[in-house]
Amino acid sequence: MTGVEFENVFDDLLDGDEELKAFYQVLREQVPQAFIQLHGDNGVVLPEVVDQPCSSEGVAQLLEKTHAAGGKPVAEQGQDGEWCYGLRVDKVSAVLLFSLPGRTGNLLAESHGRELLQGVIDYALLQQEQQLLQIENEQIYRQIGVLKQKHTALIEDNFRQYRLIQDKEKEYARTLESEIARQTAELRNTNARLEEASRLQSEFLANMSHELRTPMNAIIGFSDLLLELKLDKESREYAQTIKNAGMNLLVLINDILDLAKIEAGRIELDNSPFDLRETVDNVANLFRIPAREKKLTFVVEIAPELPALLYGDNNRLRQILINLVGNAMKFTAAGEVAITIGLQDLTSERAQVVFTVRDSGIGIPPERQQAIFDKFTQADGSTTRKYGGTGLGLAICHQLVQLMGGSISVKSVEGQGSSFYFTLPLKVARPETVVVARPEQGRDAENIPAEAQPARSALRVLLVEDNPVNQRLASIIIKKQGCELAVAGDGIEALVQLEKHVFDLVLMDVQMPNMDGLEATRRIRKIEASAGTRAQYACLRNRTKPLSIIGLTAHARKEDEQSCYGAGMNGFLTKPIIRARLEAVLVEEADGCAAQGRPPEPAG
Amino acid sequence: MPTAQELVRKFSDLKTLPHVALRLTKLVNDDRSTMHDFEEVIKLDPVLVTRLLRLVNSPYFGLINKVESIPKAVVYVGMKNLRNLVAVEALRNLFRGGENENGFSRKNLWIHSATVAIIAEMIAKRIFGQEGEDVFLAGIIHDIGLIVEDQLVGESLWSACAAYDPTKNTLALCEMEAIGTDHCLVGNLLAKEWRLPNEVLKAIRLHHDMERKHSLGSITSILQLAEYVAGKLGYSPLVGRFDPLPDYLVRHVRSSMTNYKVIMRDLPTEMAKAKDLYETDL
Repeated sequence: MTGVEFENVFDDLLDGDEELKAFYQVLREQVPQAFIQLHGDNGVVLPEVVDQPCSSEGVAQLLEKTHAAGGKPVAEQGQDGEWCYGLRVDKVSAVLLFSLPGRTGNLLAESHGRELLQGVIDYALLQQEQQLLQIENEQIYRQIGVLKQKHTALIEDNFRQYRLIQDKEKEYARTLESEIARQTAELRNTNARLEEASRLQSEFLANMSHELRTPMNAIIGFSDLLLELKLDKESREYAQTIKNAGMNLLVLINDILDLAKIEAGRIELDNSPFDLRETVDNVANLFRIPAREKKLTFVVEIAPELPALLYGDNNRLRQILINLVGNAMKFTAAGEVAITIGLQDLTSERAQVVFTVRDSGIGIPPERQQAIFDKFTQADGSTTRKYGGTGLGLAICHQLVQLMGGSISVKSVEGQGSSFYFTLPLKVARPETVVVARPEQGRDAENIPAEAQPARSALRVLLVEDNPVNQRLASIIIKKQGCELAVAGDGIEALVQLEKHVFDLVLMDVQMPNMDGLEATRRIRKIEASAGTRAQYACLRNRTKPLSIIGLTAHARKEDEQSCYGAGMNGFLTKPIIRARLEAVLVEEADGCAAQGRPPEPAG
Repeated sequence: MPTAQELVRKFSDLKTLPHVALRLTKLVNDDRSTMHDFEEVIKLDPVLVTRLLRLVNSPYFGLINKVESIPKAVVYVGMKNLRNLVAVEALRNLFRGGENENGFSRKNLWIHSATVAIIAEMIAKRIFGQEGEDVFLAGIIHDIGLIVEDQLVGESLWSACAAYDPTKNTLALCEMEAIGTDHCLVGNLLAKEWRLPNEVLKAIRLHHDMERKHSLGSITSILQLAEYVAGKLGYSPLVGRFDPLPDYLVRHVRSSMTNYKVIMRDLPTEMAKAKDLYETDL
């Protein structure tokens, strides 16, 4: 501390006698009747107006005596007999002189007189201390006041902040809500756009399959017809090549469309009861003759405890098996091909069926074993050159098995053979409650009973078809069966024909301009239903049962099949027209007509 | 000769208040700020967090339980104390350095400022019953103009200091002569840039104005009282030289002598507490 001491800071501002004055004031109040005089060490004498307790000489004498007494009170009797007293008070740095007028005894001679004097002085001094304490107290109260203010302010501020936070939260909730609403709307939009895109894609797929199959229909159909003519060896070879190439291309197109459908999520799996044994036998039958030709042993093993009926998509399962067995046949030069159906798990409800297709063929190198399930991938590039194929078959199998909730894998040793396994969880069906769906006679021409009989009596057929090439092809096949034939270019023309002529069978193309096959079929069924209108149609008026209408469609999708039946058709054939199948239909119809008796041609 | 504006602009380019200090000052001035906002800012500065917890757990607050969470500490200490805490921290760094034998002593100035702040807060609370936070800030910051001048025109400031004689003139007048402006104007402008409260700005501008009678209890008057006391105790920027107490304040002190004596009696304890609290170099 380099400067003044703390308690002396304000000394410059003081006269120095404030304390003394205060002390005098208190004494004055205590003993109003006494003569009092204070002699400060700094020379100040209080009161200023002289109030002498004794004569001037007496004062000087008394002061001297008091100083000499060293703190003890002294008494001096004046000439008038009054006693004057002197006392040193260190606290105020002064000497106190006083007298009590009218009193003659020496106060200091009696002990209680001395005590009384001391008490008065102590009291006066304490009064000063009390003042200090009072000020201190006031300061403390002010500080408490500040704290109270702060406390109030804090509470108010707290409330203000509470409101603010509430406001902020509300605002936040609002922005959150609007943001959610905006994003939801955006998602909805995106979703709608995606759905639209997906619908367009699916439409495109459907159209593509139509557009692709129609020319294939012509190529295969006409090369087929060509082969029936008398040709020289070279021409026959050319025609056969065209037909084979066409068939290969059709398989490829079907594969690509299948895969596209699967990837677009457009494939709908059937879930009806079917006889798995029959399906497997069916597939096996396709390969027995080729196996014999290649001198391969062909084995089929089916676990005896396999339930008679299972729920599933029979046609897709068949497709998978044909693909795998077809591959096995293709890549096996000697030895055997085996189909094994085992059970991993069986309860009364479910069967975990393991399908294995094993061969003793060329095998697959280990590093390629996973990749073969990818699209357009074969064991290696040279495979394509040597064995052909699209590399799509296994990708489709893989996808279909996955769709059915199973998994497919391969074990193979190069040069020794391959085994493809897939496992499917299938629900067990109770035989008494279900009607078994027969495997659809799909696009595999080999599966069709080839020995269709020519129609016994001339069947009257109306072919409704807009495409001239298809018209011609179908016409030739139908006429070759010995049927009578009329042709209509669209639904409207067909109705006109029905008005004038009698037919036993209508082959109705689905996709046509002006009026499509579905609409035309619906109209025909409507006319049949009303006796009044029916009478106007030569073809319909005398019939005892509805006219047979068989749809022709390049759209091989499940929903197309459904819409054919929905419109009232009796059946449908996929395009390209497979000759054998068409012939089978014609024979069946002819038999039906013969049994029923034919409505006569209207007179005139 | 440079104007006060030029000095402040140059100084602001050289030295800026810490980001945290500026953000806190802004929050104190904003009616819509909440304790949560303070918390977010303080969290960024670990030194500040330490100081804050030290402050709230000091005898000054006399809490029974130890406070260890920032939000709780912020509530106890209050926005203004928080701002002062940051100001002290920020200014201490500005007051550092630039020490040479024949020149202005920033260390002396820092001790002076801290002492004035403590005395001024005591007077505000005990004599005028005011919350002392703004007064404390004014005390800490009132001579910041001297730092600016020392930084930019150190030699001129030193010659102004040499010419200063409390019996004849004031330091501000000498600065006007030697520099062309004074630390009251410069400090006022700088504090304005920091967006300090108007009362504080006014006190910085007027604390050497001995001619006028400022209202008792205003920050300016309290600052003048505290400056005098600090000077008497030997804590003036130029040791031994400080302005005399203006007459209106002499009258005031005389009339409340016992009050001031009580303050002087308690001052050493308060200074020790503050030293502990702010880790000042008192």
